[in-house]
Amino acid sequence: MYFDPAENFIYPPYAIYNWMIVAGFFTAVVLVVSLLTLLVSKGSSGFGVFFTELIGMLKDVFSLSPRRIWALTRLTFMEAYRRKALAVFVVFGLLFMFAGWFMGDSKEIQPDQVKVYISFVLTAVSWLTLPVVLILACFGIPEDIRLRSIHTVVTKPARRIEIVLGRMIGVSMIGWLVLSVMSVVGYLWIVRQIPQASQELLKCRVPIYGLVSFKDREGNYGKEGINVGDIWAFRSYIEGATKSRAEWRFFNVDETMLDSEGNLRLENSFSAFRSYKGDMTRPLFYDIKLFNIEHPEISYTTQPQPVNEFRSKQDIIPRKVTVDDVQYDILNDLTTKGSDKVPKGILGIEVACIDRDQYIGMARSDLFIRMPDRPFWVGYWKAIFGTALTVLLVSMIGVAASTMVKAPIAAVLTAVMYILSGKNPHQFMDQLVAGQVQGGGVLESVYRLVMHLGPSTELPANPAFTVVQIFDSILMNFLWLCKQVIPRSQYFNMPEYVANGFDVPWATSLIPSLLVTSAFIIPCVMMGYFALRTRELESK
Amino acid sequence: MSQSEPVIEIRNLSKIYRDFWGRPKVRALNSLSLDVRKGEVFGLLGPNGSGKTTTLKLLLGLLFPTEGEITILGKSAADVSKNERIGYLPEESYLYRFLNAYETLDFYGRLFNMTAAQRKERSEKLLDLVKLAPQARRRQLKEYSKGMTRRIGVAQALINDPDLVMLDEPTSGLDPLGSRDMKDLILDLKKQGKTVLMCSHLLADVQDVCDRIAILYGGELKVMDRVDTLLKSEDKTQINTSKLSAAAISEVEAVLKRHGASDVSVDHPTATLEDLFLKTVQESRDRPGHRNVADRTSAT
Amino acid sequence: MNNMTSQQRKLVYLIGIIVLLIPIIWLSLPSDGKNKPGGVLSQLRSQYELGESDLGDVDASSAAMNLVLLGMRGVAVNLLWMDLDLQKDMKRWAEMQATTESIVRLQPHYEKVWDFNGWNLAYNTSAEWDAVPDRYYWVKQGAKFLKRGVERNKRSTELLYRTGKVIEHKIGYADESIDYRRYFLSDPDPAFNKGPDPTINPEGKDNFLVGKEWFDLACESELTRPQHILDRSLFRATPARCQFDYAQSLQKDGKFGEETRAAWEQARKDWTEVYGREIYHAQIGVEESDIRLEMTEEEIKQVAGNPDDELRVRRAVDAYQKMTNYRYWRTRAFAEAEQDTAEAHRSIFEAKQAYKAQEFDNARKAALSGMEGFDKLLKRPEYAILVEEDLLCEECLLGWKIWDDIYKVAGEKIPDEFPLKWLLELKQGNEQLMASVNKQFRRLFQDNR
Repeated sequence: MYFDPAENFIYPPYAIYNWMIVAGFFTAVVLVVSLLTLLVSKGSSGFGVFFTELIGMLKDVFSLSPRRIWALTRLTFMEAYRRKALAVFVVFGLLFMFAGWFMGDSKEIQPDQVKVYISFVLTAVSWLTLPVVLILACFGIPEDIRLRSIHTVVTKPARRIEIVLGRMIGVSMIGWLVLSVMSVVGYLWIVRQIPQASQELLKCRVPIYGLVSFKDREGNYGKEGINVGDIWAFRSYIEGATKSRAEWRFFNVDETMLDSEGNLRLENSFSAFRSYKGDMTRPLFYDIKLFNIEHPEISYTTQPQPVNEFRSKQDIIPRKVTVDDVQYDILNDLTTKGSDKVPKGILGIEVACIDRDQYIGMARSDLFIRMPDRPFWVGYWKAIFGTALTVLLVSMIGVAASTMVKAPIAAVLTAVMYILSGKNPHQFMDQLVAGQVQGGGVLESVYRLVMHLGPSTELPANPAFTVVQIFDSILMNFLWLCKQVIPRSQYFNMPEYVANGFDVPWATSLIPSLLVTSAFIIPCVMMGYFALRTRELESK
Repeated sequence: MSQSEPVIEIRNLSKIYRDFWGRPKVRALNSLSLDVRKGEVFGLLGPNGSGKTTTLKLLLGLLFPTEGEITILGKSAADVSKNERIGYLPEESYLYRFLNAYETLDFYGRLFNMTAAQRKERSEKLLDLVKLAPQARRRQLKEYSKGMTRRIGVAQALINDPDLVMLDEPTSGLDPLGSRDMKDLILDLKKQGKTVLMCSHLLADVQDVCDRIAILYGGELKVMDRVDTLLKSEDKTQINTSKLSAAAISEVEAVLKRHGASDVSVDHPTATLEDLFLKTVQESRDRPGHRNVADRTSAT
Repeated sequence: MNNMTSQQRKLVYLIGIIVLLIPIIWLSLPSDGKNKPGGVLSQLRSQYELGESDLGDVDASSAAMNLVLLGMRGVAVNLLWMDLDLQKDMKRWAEMQATTESIVRLQPHYEKVWDFNGWNLAYNTSAEWDAVPDRYYWVKQGAKFLKRGVERNKRSTELLYRTGKVIEHKIGYADESIDYRRYFLSDPDPAFNKGPDPTINPEGKDNFLVGKEWFDLACESELTRPQHILDRSLFRATPARCQFDYAQSLQKDGKFGEETRAAWEQARKDWTEVYGREIYHAQIGVEESDIRLEMTEEEIKQVAGNPDDELRVRRAVDAYQKMTNYRYWRTRAFAEAEQDTAEAHRSIFEAKQAYKAQEFDNARKAALSGMEGFDKLLKRPEYAILVEEDLLCEECLLGWKIWDDIYKVAGEKIPDEFPLKWLLELKQGNEQLMASVNKQFRRLFQDNR
């Protein structure tokens, strides 16, 4: 794994609380702006109009009819079907017919190749489904308005909110249909592509992570170890043959974390760094010490183990261990018993590098207790579920956008929202807003580009540049505002878990992505409805 | 017609189309006031761009009025629940071209929350009513001719058995036979006690079916009254008999002269709505602002 | 335009389209093989041999992908390169390799792409792994990748050279070269049943000999398609230098018999009779003349014509010889052909082995014998040039170092006079050399630990 799952953890009550603040604020802004617009355009009678409309809207919301929504859903579905949207299957078929060409030969299967296969299938499935969803979502209502077929619908008792809902559900259902067919094919493709002998590479490991802290060479605690010069500072390194250690604490350790034979399975993916090459044929060694955090003298240390870099390595620790003729039970003696100060079931684990002047690198997620595996399909379908949520999200945003702007613009808007939803764009926007990106804002950087000024050159201090900077900071604040409504797709990272041979966890992947998706339901529906209701469906 | 309650009340209705920047572009409707009463067939006439369709769309809530008030079936135009009792046939049948006739009616039926059994029964009845050939009913609408599209359009407008039917150019593009069917249908609706509001520029059709008409020009109401009243010249008397011999005619002329009648001419009656329409349009061009409107609130 | 009817406008568009299409069609008319040469583009394509099948093996998937992307290839490739960079930083090797595959499918005839990525796999990726078999796997991936690059770009001199370079230099000269060279003959991957990986070593030869084959091909290709990596005279020396590498590596492996002698003999032939007879163009006076690294007096006179130019030719040849270190290697080849040299090498080798095994008496004896052998050899005037270069001296001084160290460890007094003392005094100031000797010595020590 090249990320720490914990960074995607969302605490649901906090998320809901935040959502309510944002949604409330947003609603208030919309209401105040509408009221002011009406007052300006209609004078004092604007109040009346405002409240009539408001009551009308609320009435519509509470008179939703499932049958009408279903009728509109079916309509969307049949429209897509009859207009040959499902031709995407042809592309899909072609892709999979020739996929083997891009994947290298399948005779020598390495664990890494399995990873590429799984990523390929999951990526291909979502990249083929999402454009279809995007186009259907963004073009449905505008086409309906352009062809005026919507006239025959809104002159029936169909509420405009029902039109929005029907479109969203219909488009999502098409997306889900396409997705499910493709993922079944993709699943069979993966299973068939991997030779019988290597089938055990398809698995879903279930890890239990702890919390890590590092000790430096003098034995002082710190948050991080040493950076050995990697650009990617994910792993911290500990120095060999010093007091430097990585120390984990695992919580709620009990019998359920032992395997069927009663052993504790620790799995790691440490990396090695040599400050001198030494004997290259001899790997670097680490050892693992299990200890009671309240009584550190009660401990058990494993034999030195070789580092198996870029792969994973299991250390199986029996429940009963003998140290200097004393037998310890790792659950009863090495984990905490529970008291006022320390909760029950905390197990301390310390990792040391044995070789002098050599380093072993690790991140929090590089050592975990491995629970019994789940079958591959469990993780695979969870990943597909994540894509299904993305489909829903894209269709909601697309439909909502299409009620406000013309179809191609809505499509571009939705596509941009989706592209910017990734982790890196969000990071970049954060840096931009925080002023950490060199070269200043829009105008300033344009000026620097044109004048060939380096980013560190001071701008001359004169009023013109003050204006430029003020303007830029206004744009930056606007960007900050926009950033808040762009979804964060970093939570939808199920494929990464599955490709790396892990099960998709609920707490750091499924629940956060469910929350993100549901956070968009009400705003998208209401915005779509508001736009469609306040809009004349025909302007000459 | 009797003094029945108004189904549609329009008061000082104006509509200004604006451009992107909110600047007024076209004044499509200027202070229109009129009533449509229960059980009558009311015709909105006018040349292209006179505001007929705008009026209809304002009534249906497709457009929002700039000024004025609309009450339709006792509710505001923006209230969707009024649509339960309204049937609307758009100018061209803007239906979903990828559905077939059954699917179309089924879809609109669902929008009225009708049960499956109701939808099925009503669909069959309506398709028979509008005389859509059975073999065409399973074909997608995109393969339909103009006449067939019109028929299915009418069928969808009547799916909910509405009290008020609004028809935008119901006979346009139909052959004489289809046109006849359509007019029969309108008269039939009237017989069932339904109110019909239609706009059209096919005057002969309007003359045939309408009880009352309003003529719009340039967004303004120019003429409104009963069709028979409008076509009757108060300062003239028309005598219709069976064909008379030349001698008999000269005798009649003599009698009329004796009674002080001037400008006597004996001819076959030709006055039609077309004459009236052209006259109104001509007058409106010559004398802007002139109106010839019967008191809209009292019965005639 | 505005006062035209829509029909008129369409007509104008149509005419415009046709007018623009005519030159395009005319330019891109395909040739029908033999008789008609086709349009200008097609003619140019065959003139410069730029047709897909002229360049190398046609890869249908790559051609299809380029067609599907229409004009967006540049954008797609850019995104992929950014991905590649990120994956490299994050050490996601499998994904990096998959991205590399996609890139070469989009840019199959861009030699630098093959060059860069092959290098990246063989040198950068391999170095990130800890276990030697893993490192070797990635070196092999780099070599295989470059080999495929050659197949897709048949006329690329540089890719031939790069492939040879990985096999010769990365496998032959890395810190792990002892293991790499062994793996080259007997792959650690159980799939190859302890034999070589047939993709890069089908005949199970020494890596230097396989490297030599690649360099031979590169030199052959270089005659028609120049390279821009090295000066031409250095470039053309590569096959013969591989032979030297091979001969030296046999010595390093402790082989001093007929095989090694034959290898040196072959190296001498390659150096003086093949490489030495290559023709270069040098500016002699006003005109260009053909010169060789190995020229007889007669040839010099023949090329020069007059005594002034004779001097110029000598200077030019001298310059070339210096640049390629020609004389050193020639001398070395002759020296190595002598039985005494082989014996001296053997003695030093034995000294190293004995030292490792902590048989210090044997080690001291062998080292001294080797030092004596080299002392005699290097003092001969015809081999004086060998002293100027560090290469052989390093081995000599390593022998001394072992000999010296044993005295120190034993606490005995080091004799005042010993063979090669003069060489030690001469080279004492050469830090680079001494550091290298010390490093090699330390390695003996560490292996011993």
